[in-house]
Amino acid sequence: MPIPAERGTAVLAALVLPLAALLCLEIASRSAIVDPTFIPPPSAIIGTLGDIVATGAFARPLAQTVLLLFAGYGLGSFAAISLGILMGASRAVYNCLEPLAELLRPLPKPALLPALILFLGLGAKMEVTIVALGCFFPVLINTIQGVRAVEPTMINTARTFGHGSFAVWRRILLPASAPYILAGMRVSLGLGLILAITAEMIAGTGGLGDSILRAQRLFLVKESYAWLVILALLGLVLTGVFGFIERRLAFWSAPQVT
Amino acid sequence: MAVTAGAMPASGATTQSAGARLRVEALGKAFAGPDGAAVEAIGSVTLDVAPGEFVAVVGPSGCGKSTLLQIIAGLLLPSSGRVLLGDRDVTGEPAHMVYLFQQYSKSLLPWMTVENNVMFAFRHRMKVSQADALTRCRDYLAMVGLGDSGHHYPWQLSGGMQQRVAIARALAAEPQVLLMDEPFSSVDALTRLDLHSLILDLWTKKHFTAVLVTHDVDEAIFLADRVVVLTQRPAQLAEAVATKLSRPRHSIETREAPEFLALRHRLLDHLLTRSGRTRDANPR
Repeated sequence: MPIPAERGTAVLAALVLPLAALLCLEIASRSAIVDPTFIPPPSAIIGTLGDIVATGAFARPLAQTVLLLFAGYGLGSFAAISLGILMGASRAVYNCLEPLAELLRPLPKPALLPALILFLGLGAKMEVTIVALGCFFPVLINTIQGVRAVEPTMINTARTFGHGSFAVWRRILLPASAPYILAGMRVSLGLGLILAITAEMIAGTGGLGDSILRAQRLFLVKESYAWLVILALLGLVLTGVFGFIERRLAFWSAPQVT
Repeated sequence: MAVTAGAMPASGATTQSAGARLRVEALGKAFAGPDGAAVEAIGSVTLDVAPGEFVAVVGPSGCGKSTLLQIIAGLLLPSSGRVLLGDRDVTGEPAHMVYLFQQYSKSLLPWMTVENNVMFAFRHRMKVSQADALTRCRDYLAMVGLGDSGHHYPWQLSGGMQQRVAIARALAAEPQVLLMDEPFSSVDALTRLDLHSLILDLWTKKHFTAVLVTHDVDEAIFLADRVVVLTQRPAQLAEAVATKLSRPRHSIETREAPEFLALRHRLLDHLLTRSGRTRDANPR
């Protein structure tokens, strides 16, 4: 844990580069070195951002994106953890499903969007499905690894104290593989946000992705950038909240490498 | 050829015994080898442990001692023969047998506090209030000298303290039989002597039947009523010797007693000759 003074210096150091970049942009845009129509000065974007926030216009698209992300992320992670535990614990299940998983895993998920639109239409069903698919694989791979890495001694310990198979799953396999699962979920969170925005841009039925694209199409350049700032802040908050939860749940483990 | 070891009456200060009789009858175990052929780990072992008796099993490394213990615990199935606890066949993990593992760091659950680790041993088996469970848990932690460490996590404690937690947890399940798989081999030498005294103390208080697997002849003689020697794989019973050392045993004096040294000489000689090793480290 760095001491407060060190922490302050670190925060300051982290702010120097972004602030310098913003300042350069401001000067470049105002002095028309770059075309202010396409790259408006940051101060003007902040003004537009202020309007979006003050009128409450940000709330609906933000809520829709967060809801979509959570629904897809939740579904995808839940399915991946359940299946991952099965695949990690049983060689037969693994052999049966691994080839299929390896076929689908490297496929860039946005490539599935056209097909999904055919099956599910342009609405929420398609959006949630693509986010869930994107979140599924990193969690699956990590859960399998995590379950395999559980010490046999831990399982034997539970068995010698007379814990049944369900208790072994719930009280040993799940918590013991939690650091791996959470590392996978950290990756999935970022992927999920990417897919949520992509899906929203294509569906055009609301959400931050839709707002960014719509503003750009209507030539509301400043507004488009303002939505981008809101999206960036959302990503920052999600990462922070996830880190907090991860530290609480896997406090006993050294950070896992993905 | 299987030497049969009969049960000896426990020489400990056990007046009434909570331990159970443990019988291993013509036990054999074969594994599938890498080429598919069966590899025999245990030939045929017969062993009768009296209620409350402390038996140590020694043998060359890789001779199948741990396999034997895991079969007794119901963690592995035998290929032939059977294990009896009291008058019941052991199939699956019996309720009154507890296994103390060598690797305490892998046996204690790092996401649970020391107290929750101890309660993990018995809480699911009995309908007691949280308060009663906690009282019992703290009693056992106090018994191993860790009354103050209940709120810590295992990884915050030293190796010796962690193995004490594992011992408290094993005994909190109030087993009739305690199976110990080299539980003292991963702590430093002084801590080991300390834990030896602790386990004898608890054994005297709780009267459980104890089976210790170890490669340390000194440890086996110091702790046990009877030392059983296994041959190299496939394991057979080579010899069974009653230690006949008086109890209570003392960390230093007992280890210097002529009977102790004579027995040590005999067993080491036996083990070194059997494993084809030379007795003299530097033959001239």
